[in-house]
Amino acid sequence: MKNIFFLFFAISFISCSNSSEDELYTPIPLEVNVPSNFPEMVYNLDNNPVTEAGFELGKALFYEGKLSANNAIPCAFCHEQAFAFTHHEHTVSHGLDGGIGTRNAQPMQNLAYQSEFMWDGAATHLDFQPIIPLTSEVEMGETLSNVITKLSETDYYKKQFAKAFENGAINSENMLKALSQFMVMMVSSNSKYDKYVRNEDGVTLTDIELDGLTTFNQKCASCHATDLFTDQSYRNNGLSINPKFNDKGRFNIFENPEDLYKFKVPSLRNIEKSNPYMHDGRVATLEAVLDFYDSGMVDNGNVDPVFRRDDGTLGITLSDYEKESIIALLKTLTDNEFLNDERFAEF
Amino acid sequence: MKIVKLTLALLLSISIVSCSSDNDDDVDLTGQTGSVVLKFDNSVGDLDFAFNTSFDRANGESFKLETLKYIVSNVRVKDSEGNIFMYPTASNVFIINEAKSNNAGEIWVTLDGIDAADYTEITFGIGIDQERYALGADGQGDFLAEAEAEGMLWSWATGFKFMRFDGTYSSSTVTDEGLNMHMGSVGSSLDNYKEVTLTFPNTILVREDKTPEVHIKADIAEAFDGVTAVNFDDGYNQVHVDETETGVIATNLTGMFMVHHVHNN
Repeated sequence: MKNIFFLFFAISFISCSNSSEDELYTPIPLEVNVPSNFPEMVYNLDNNPVTEAGFELGKALFYEGKLSANNAIPCAFCHEQAFAFTHHEHTVSHGLDGGIGTRNAQPMQNLAYQSEFMWDGAATHLDFQPIIPLTSEVEMGETLSNVITKLSETDYYKKQFAKAFENGAINSENMLKALSQFMVMMVSSNSKYDKYVRNEDGVTLTDIELDGLTTFNQKCASCHATDLFTDQSYRNNGLSINPKFNDKGRFNIFENPEDLYKFKVPSLRNIEKSNPYMHDGRVATLEAVLDFYDSGMVDNGNVDPVFRRDDGTLGITLSDYEKESIIALLKTLTDNEFLNDERFAEF
Repeated sequence: MKIVKLTLALLLSISIVSCSSDNDDDVDLTGQTGSVVLKFDNSVGDLDFAFNTSFDRANGESFKLETLKYIVSNVRVKDSEGNIFMYPTASNVFIINEAKSNNAGEIWVTLDGIDAADYTEITFGIGIDQERYALGADGQGDFLAEAEAEGMLWSWATGFKFMRFDGTYSSSTVTDEGLNMHMGSVGSSLDNYKEVTLTFPNTILVREDKTPEVHIKADIAEAFDGVTAVNFDDGYNQVHVDETETGVIATNLTGMFMVHHVHNN
């Protein structure tokens, strides 16, 4: 009897030590970079503190095909790091079974500083944003419960959820929290422009870049505001209506006629790398974007008054040199540290 | 006859005894917990609700539903001394789905771990409040997956449908036209969360060994024949995110519930 008891004790001891090595909750906090030239962070880290294991789990999920119905379309399919996490050279994106979306994949950076997501603000909390592409029939075409089932059958995720979360549960709460931990860490704030405004490393802008900054502040910064380069508002910028999509933008959210054809003002960070441009990717180059604002806008019935010139026409008048210098400035927003940061890379 | 009388007397005396012991103020209930069962019972006026059954409205329209669900959250009860017991936030959100009702047409929500006390009223919310939404995924457990599986998440945006009344309606002008009422909030821009407080007709006694049952009648017709009566023909057959329409329906829903009776078991 004593022997049996001893054996039992020994077994339970062994099994404990086994599991504790691989599957113990290990909350090693990761510091979230808060750049001094950024406005206040929106994401509440108290509800979801970033840890090493949580970040690693979030990254694995970001690159995980199992989040899609055919197990082949991870988030990264349309969000490639080298192109500021956009779908390079795609006007609109394609997903499950050849499904074609209606919008251009947006860059992923500084998301913790934004209160609403997607071109029309359809997502109002970072944690919930991934539900949209995950369940969209033309993107990943899955359901949350099915993804959870698939993850629960995978050894890596059994271990990693246990490491990342105290309750170790493989559920939608923890999956979305891990994805947010990964996204919260994706901060792009070390471009040439950033170093210039923060007076770091003696970085200066060239004359043409400085001229671009002056023009930008006069003619662009009311919408592309703060060092996030967006005021996070929704505006109709006078693009013609593409009859193929007839995308009504922000109108889809509240069915409010005042929102017709409005889209979120995008950040301009890493804009050099995130071509093509506009909500449906119809403009291929920065030069063409500025030509559009100078002379290409059309009155689609609800254009933002900010674009109305004194003579009643639409547009922002830009000389050739102003265009050239703005582009020079925009290129200083390219953050190679971020675009090549191994923490966010698949391999 | 004598037996009946005796039985009555016996029953009476038992109930007196049990009553007196229940109301005994000397009994210390500290640390004791019990359960409460909420039984949601959907109806249309005086008629019990049934799927694919046509119900007539006073305005001449009629409707039948294939889906009938709504979200109830933040359930709390108040005792005779004014103390409020709030059910733990993380699990305090429920999808009341008619398709999951028992043969009596009731959807049961069992609340465990309620502090033992004599409760006089109940308060709950319809939908998801701003505070819970602002938590993001935090504290939601599997509720998001459940809500998605139940079709209570918008597909084109992130947010909860507080209700789903899906089916068809007929009027003098249309026959079997689509009826889809999906009222909800959209982020913090459109907040349609509302609360309801109902007084119990009798005090409910929650004890370790007593699980009171609260029979809540929900007259779903109040959604469109409530404080503000609306016509499906006027566009209220499709309620999704329109600020005005969803506000009207959200307010109407607060008049939908009444506590029909309670059982102190």
